[in-house]
Order: sequence, then C-alpha cells, then structure tokens
Amino acid sequence: MNKLYIFLKYFFIVVWTVFVVAPFLWALTTSFKDFQSVNGGVTYIPWVDFEPNLEGWKVLIKSPAKGGVDIIEPYFNSMFVTCTASLISIILGTLSAYALSRYTFKAGFVKNNDITFFFISQRIMPPIVLSIPFFLFLSSINLLDSLTGLIVVYIVLLMPIAVWIMVDFFNKVPREIDETALIDGCNPYQAFLKVVLPNSIPGLIVAGMFCIIFGWIDFFFAFILTFTEVQLLPVKIVALNSSVTPWWSLSASALVSVAPLIIVAFIVERYLSKGNLSGAIK
Amino acid sequence: MAKIDLSNVSHSYNPNDPNPVFALNPFSMTWENGNRYAILGPSGCGKTTMLNIVSGLVRPSAGRILFDDKDVTDLKTEDRNIAQVFQFPVIYNTMTVYENLAFPLKCRDFSKSKIDERVNSVAETLNLKSFLNSPARKLTADQKQLISLGRGLVREDVAAVLMDEPLTVIDPDLKFRLRRNLKEINEQYKTTLVYVTHDQNEAMTFADNIIVMSEGEVVQTGSPKELFERPNTTFVGYFIGSPAMNLFESEASSNDSVKINNTLIKTHTNLSNLKTKKIKLGIRSEFIKIAQNQNENLVDVNVEKVEDLGNYKLITAKLGDFTIKSKVTRETEIPSSKVKLHIPADRCCVYEDNKLI
Repeated sequence: MNKLYIFLKYFFIVVWTVFVVAPFLWALTTSFKDFQSVNGGVTYIPWVDFEPNLEGWKVLIKSPAKGGVDIIEPYFNSMFVTCTASLISIILGTLSAYALSRYTFKAGFVKNNDITFFFISQRIMPPIVLSIPFFLFLSSINLLDSLTGLIVVYIVLLMPIAVWIMVDFFNKVPREIDETALIDGCNPYQAFLKVVLPNSIPGLIVAGMFCIIFGWIDFFFAFILTFTEVQLLPVKIVALNSSVTPWWSLSASALVSVAPLIIVAFIVERYLSKGNLSGAIK
Repeated sequence: MAKIDLSNVSHSYNPNDPNPVFALNPFSMTWENGNRYAILGPSGCGKTTMLNIVSGLVRPSAGRILFDDKDVTDLKTEDRNIAQVFQFPVIYNTMTVYENLAFPLKCRDFSKSKIDERVNSVAETLNLKSFLNSPARKLTADQKQLISLGRGLVREDVAAVLMDEPLTVIDPDLKFRLRRNLKEINEQYKTTLVYVTHDQNEAMTFADNIIVMSEGEVVQTGSPKELFERPNTTFVGYFIGSPAMNLFESEASSNDSVKINNTLIKTHTNLSNLKTKKIKLGIRSEFIKIAQNQNENLVDVNVEKVEDLGNYKLITAKLGDFTIKSKVTRETEIPSSKVKLHIPADRCCVYEDNKLI
C-alpha cells in the first residue's frame, strides 16, 4: 500500500513535470536551431542531432534595417505598461478593498458584497465584449495606439484582481488590529498606513504578482488598441509569424518574454515559503 | 485616569428595525477613578459590547458616556485616551517589541526620553525586557499577549484600561502572577481597570467591584462579598459560587417562614407583601452545616454522595424531591446516610419572580 502510494506519487510528479517542462525544452532547443534542423525532420539533441547556433537569439536585438526583429523596444513598452498599470491598480484596489472590508456601504439593495462582486464580475465577462467600447473610448480621448491608453485599459482589467485578492486578505486581517491602532491613538488613515498596510504586505505581493502576470501576458487588448506607434511584446512575438515562420527566433523571444515571470515566481515563492503569510493574530 | 459615567446607555445592532434586538438593555453605572471592576457574565451577554461602547469602537444606540463629567459620546476612539486589551493578542507584526510598546506614546507625540522610560518600566513589569529588540511576531502567544497588555499600560494618563478576557491564552501560573501585577499597577498608578471575564474566580480575585450581566442586562453590581452573600437574582446565585446556590421552589407559609418539604424554614425576610405565595428560597452551600445543637431550621436529608475536594467536602443530599448541597470542612464526619442539616435563617435569600426580596 505504502509502496504503491510512493510509486503513484512520483509517477504523477514525473508526468506533471514532463507536461510543464517539455514545452520549455522544446522552445529552448528550437531557439538554437537553423532552418535546416527545424524543417529537416525531428531532431532533439544538440551537437548530435543538429549543430546549435545563436542566429535565433541574435536577430532579437538586431534592428529591422539589418534584417533583425528588435524586441527591445516592445519589451520595455510591455514592462512600462504592465508595471505602471499594476502599481496604480494595486493602490486603487487596496484602498477600495480596505473600504469594502471595513465599512458598510448601502445604496438601495446594493451592499458591500454586491460591490465586491461587481468588481469581480468585470473579469467574468469575456474580454472581447469590451473590445469595441474600449476602442471607441480610447479613440474619443485620442489615446489609441499610445502607452497611456493601454495603461488606462489595463488598470480596468487589473484592478478587479487587486480588489478581489485584497478584500479577501483584509477580511482575514482581524478588525482588532485596526481597533487597537485607534485605541493607541491613530486616526483611521494612520491606522491604515502604519498598521494595517505593513501587515498586509503578503497580500500586496500576491495581488501584485497576479496583476503583473495578467498584464504581461495580455495579447488581445494590446493587439486591437495599438497599430504602428507602440507595440507590446506579445503582439511583437505573434507578428514574427510570417509566411515562413522563423521558429528559432520565435522560440527565443518566447523564452525571453517568460523570463520575468519566472523571476517573479521565484521571488514570491521565496517570500511565501518564509512563512510571512501568517496572520497577525494568535 | 477618570471617573466614567454611563448614563442610560443601551445598544442594539439593528436599531432601525421595528423590533430591535438589544445587545445591551438600558442601564446606568458609574466607574470611580482608580477602582478595579470586573464585568462577569456568560458568553454573549453584552460584556464586550459594553467595553466597546466605553472605548468608542461602538456608538451606543442611546444614552451618554461621560469621562470626568465631560460628554464623550461623540468623541472618536483615538481622542478618548483609553486603552483596551482584547482576548487574543493583537500585535503589530512588522514592529519590534519595543516599537509595539512605544506605539501608543508615539501616536501621541511623547518625547523620546519619556517613551524610553515608560517602555522600559512596562517591559520590566511584564518580564519583556530581554525581548525588547526582537521582532514581535517571533514571540510565543502568551508573550504576544503581554505585549498587548503592555501597550495598554504604557500610557500613565489613560482614562481606563479595558481588558476583554485578556488572560485566556496565558498559562495558569503566569496568569496568577499577572493578575497580581495588574493589581499592583492599579494600586501604584491609580488606573481604573475594567476586566471582562466569564470566570468568576478571576473576577472575584481581581476586582473590588463586580458587574454581573446576563442577556444584555446588568443584573447586579457589588463587591464579591455582596454578590456571594446576597445575590440580587437567582441568576447571580446560580452563576456565582461553586457549587451554585441551593434554590428551592416553595411557598411562603407565614410572615417570615417558608415551607420546604414539610419543614418550616425561618428567614429574616418579611414575606407579608408577596403578590403570590410562590417564591424561591436560596441558600449558599457554604452556610449549610450539619446540625449540632440548633433547634430550628433543621432538615432531614438522605446523603447521596460525599466528595472530598481537597480543602473541603461537598455533600450532595436529597431533601424530598430537592437536591441540597452543603460544603463542610474536611474533618467533618458524616455519620450516616440520614443527616440533619441546619439552614441558618440570616443566610436565607428569598426570591419572588427570581428577584430578591
């Protein structure tokens, strides 16, 4: 029984690992291949099956004039848009989440939970529903094809995530913490800034991580709301897919685009495993 | 340090409902400066609501709160200069022990040297000196509760320190020492201490005034002795004391005596103005002794069991259909299963509608 359990456990771990890692290995090997090794039949092992070269990686930083694809600018565009939108979403989301968690709102039959659900419901709807309204909205304020316009749209998309995570988190932060701070002589703003917020860093990190992930991977809105002036990384990568697909540079750029998320995941994992998620009470 | 007046205070969590449910029924009370009070009652009787009203976390549906005759009903918590300690330790996780203790003073812009002096003195009292520089979240649960307590005690000028079952998470040995410390602090600084608990022993040993509550009602206020000897209602008699007060349902048979199981028991209560004849007779088991040479107020009982509880013996006996309990000294010999017990007339409390006459 016990042996069977161990066998099954490791079996599933191996299967899952293969499932998760294989695409990366595939992309990694492909990024070092040339036209011949991609199209000439199945090859796996470098130096044995094919001769690795750096062509796929070099094109990424070459300017288009020299036959490269130059992903540096879209890369920084993506970073700027994602980070700015995430930061603003976290700030606004945290403030509204705190209010929703601690104060009672009532407008007719609409109460706190309904407001929270309203935020979340923005993510239930398929994003394509919003494409035309967003397009018209941005064009009406002349922000189509601009970083600012994308940031506005991304805030709309990311703030519900921040609100959702932070409401849940604040609900778990005992009210007594705020009350103690009031008793100790803080006004409600100081209580929030000096006591509740420092205690909520784990929640902020989780919310921030989700915002960054969802912002970074968005292709849809970046695709329909920009044309020539600005380009975000996912759009750029997809655009590589021309009549003759350069699988090598496509793989390389895919890996480069995943890299920041892997770094984020490692940092967060480190932080969470230190046990910093435990609450302030008991 | 202040005298606290609660005048006609009541609270309902649904005041706009046509039939509001009151967590706290209207009551008035004065807490004198420098005294120790215990609010005693079973869970859900409104004890915490009462504290929260005093500290300003809850605004009462009706009534006024006065600190030193100044109306503070509309004053915010942070402006009331009050300290409150909750049942579970509340600490500021991101700060060190020192910063935790200093926080209430820092918020009120005390000078650095003053903060240092107070924090050190409180840490000394609570045995936290060696932890001052460690992060507060690294401490054990009872040390964390000490920090909560310390934050309550660090300001010398607080109107009152309100404690909501603060010693629940602390182990018994330390509990005893802390209760003594709190008493010392009260005597030294003349701080008004209000202590909520459902443990009567804790209340009795700690406070010089006990407020007994039941179902949102203040049932009786008084010294431990008063509560023990003259409970206002059968609830207090039942709730205070271990074992609970003996209560016999019976009828008044003359102006000062009641009949229990065909035996006439004399009391020192005037029973001539009763509306109905139905009353309850209450007597503490501590006052019931085996009859020596008394010639009245004697009852014949059948002893059911005798428990030796270390410093005393507890006799459980049958008096007709009633159960009667008597606490006697260890040395007392219980001769046989048939015993005569003496019920002293001056210790009898008579209740009509569960209220003392």
